[in-house]
Amino acid sequence: MEWNGKKRLLTAIEGGATDRMPVISVCQYATYELMEATGAFWPEAHRDADKMARLSAGGATVLGLDAVRVPYCQTVEAEAYGATIKDGGQKHIPSIDRPAFALGEEPKIPQDFLARGRIPAVIEAIRILKAELGEKVAVMGSLVGPFSVAASLVGIAPFLKASLKKPDSLLPYLEAATKTAIQYAKAMTEAGADILVIEDMMASLDMISPRAYKKLAAPYEKQVIEAVGGTAPVILHICGKLDAVMTYIAETGVSAISVESAVDVHAALEKFHEAGIRTPILGAVHPIHALLEGTEEDVAAAVRKSSEDGVSVISPDCAVAPATTIANIKAMAEAAKKIENRG
Amino acid sequence: MADILNTLKQSILDFDEEAAEAAAKEAVEQGVNPVTAVGALADGLNELGEAFEKMEVFLPEIMLASDAFKAALAVLEPELKKANQEGKKSIPVVIGTVQGDVHQVGKDMVATFLTTAGFDVHDLGVDVSPSRFLEEAKKYDAKIIAAAALMSTTRPVQKDLLDFLEAKGVRDKYIVFVGGGVVTQDWATEIKADGYGQDAIATVELAKKLLHAA
Repeated sequence: MEWNGKKRLLTAIEGGATDRMPVISVCQYATYELMEATGAFWPEAHRDADKMARLSAGGATVLGLDAVRVPYCQTVEAEAYGATIKDGGQKHIPSIDRPAFALGEEPKIPQDFLARGRIPAVIEAIRILKAELGEKVAVMGSLVGPFSVAASLVGIAPFLKASLKKPDSLLPYLEAATKTAIQYAKAMTEAGADILVIEDMMASLDMISPRAYKKLAAPYEKQVIEAVGGTAPVILHICGKLDAVMTYIAETGVSAISVESAVDVHAALEKFHEAGIRTPILGAVHPIHALLEGTEEDVAAAVRKSSEDGVSVISPDCAVAPATTIANIKAMAEAAKKIENRG
Repeated sequence: MADILNTLKQSILDFDEEAAEAAAKEAVEQGVNPVTAVGALADGLNELGEAFEKMEVFLPEIMLASDAFKAALAVLEPELKKANQEGKKSIPVVIGTVQGDVHQVGKDMVATFLTTAGFDVHDLGVDVSPSRFLEEAKKYDAKIIAAAALMSTTRPVQKDLLDFLEAKGVRDKYIVFVGGGVVTQDWATEIKADGYGQDAIATVELAKKLLHAA
């Protein structure tokens, strides 16, 4: 059997044994050095499909990862809804300047949602990546989870306050964000995405309580996962210390959970085992302490530690800082390649 | 007086903005020392902060408590100013979250705590460019610049800020703090910041210490 990145990752997510530990970056991995190496730079790579694809492809061709992904920021959906986006220039990612709606306003879904903002570029970049690398490397389309999109529609502070005081006032935004997430996810798989990543960074316990996660985030994640069920595996990424909600996350039906090193992976897997849950956990190399500030040996140690804790796929905790060196990301990939994966 | 101080503190623990404002008015009517009143509010915030650390309460509670605190503070502020006029002038501080980063909450907490500690805090909000930090610091004759970064992708902007101050030849004029979830003491040392505040309470302590040393 001939192994390649795509097969390795898909097999590991299904819980099977592979030739060695797969290694990816679930969240963004573009760095200044990778931009130099690929000749595709921010901010153009946020909007131009060719450049977006070229920078992303560097994840496999330069960094040695088993999967590539687009886009590089978490503002694509908010922009398509009409938020004003502030360009981050060459060094930073775009951010939301003004949300699309004020809390209380009806969240109208634009008719041509998939044709707006950077969505067509992301979809086209997936097509290009699929054509160029799709035989060997997994192509991941990354969307933002409904809870996080909803928060970005009205602004994080008003959203979080309302989540405690008037949770019902958030339902229209959550429902709209779920509908558009399903549209966007389907367009990604139709363009050739092998795997979908849902980044629901605001659904973190850094932001909300376990009760709020269960009520306001998980049901909508589940709807998206069910709607794309069967077409592509879904990796759900949530930041922060999630120990108290790991079971709720698994119950969304997601194919794999990507976590930060703040989570006790070993304990979570034990709890899963007792409950008969087989969802694999991905992670958890710290993007700052190991990848950005650590030595190559620190990175390798973090990879081994994650493997010992029981992750099925090695990945950084969350977004790779753009000032991270290629050498350190390669060190992560190399360390993973030395690890067996018996499934 | 003990009653009204308890009411003030409880309004924060209940993150009840209206109750906090009402209690502050009551405190002013009763002639409670405004510094003592703010202290009671800060006790409430501290207690919630500890519960937050233990993951017993979560960010929305802290945000609402912070709103309640601000509402009460707005009532007490004129009294505080009167009290301050008799004492020494409070030290101006400018604070903000760095360019490209729109995280607000941690920075707000630090701003709030610095205010309760008697600093004259000017909150520049989020997504603040290095040049704006300097402009505002000049405007308010600030002694301290506090810059938060909450994302691995925006942390380098703290260095940009220090480089900018250096390039403008004004680095020595300001005590620069960096903070935020992704910030470490190592990072603060590397970029030659004057201090690293791990949390709101630590930042206040640090501010007092560094000012004393300066």
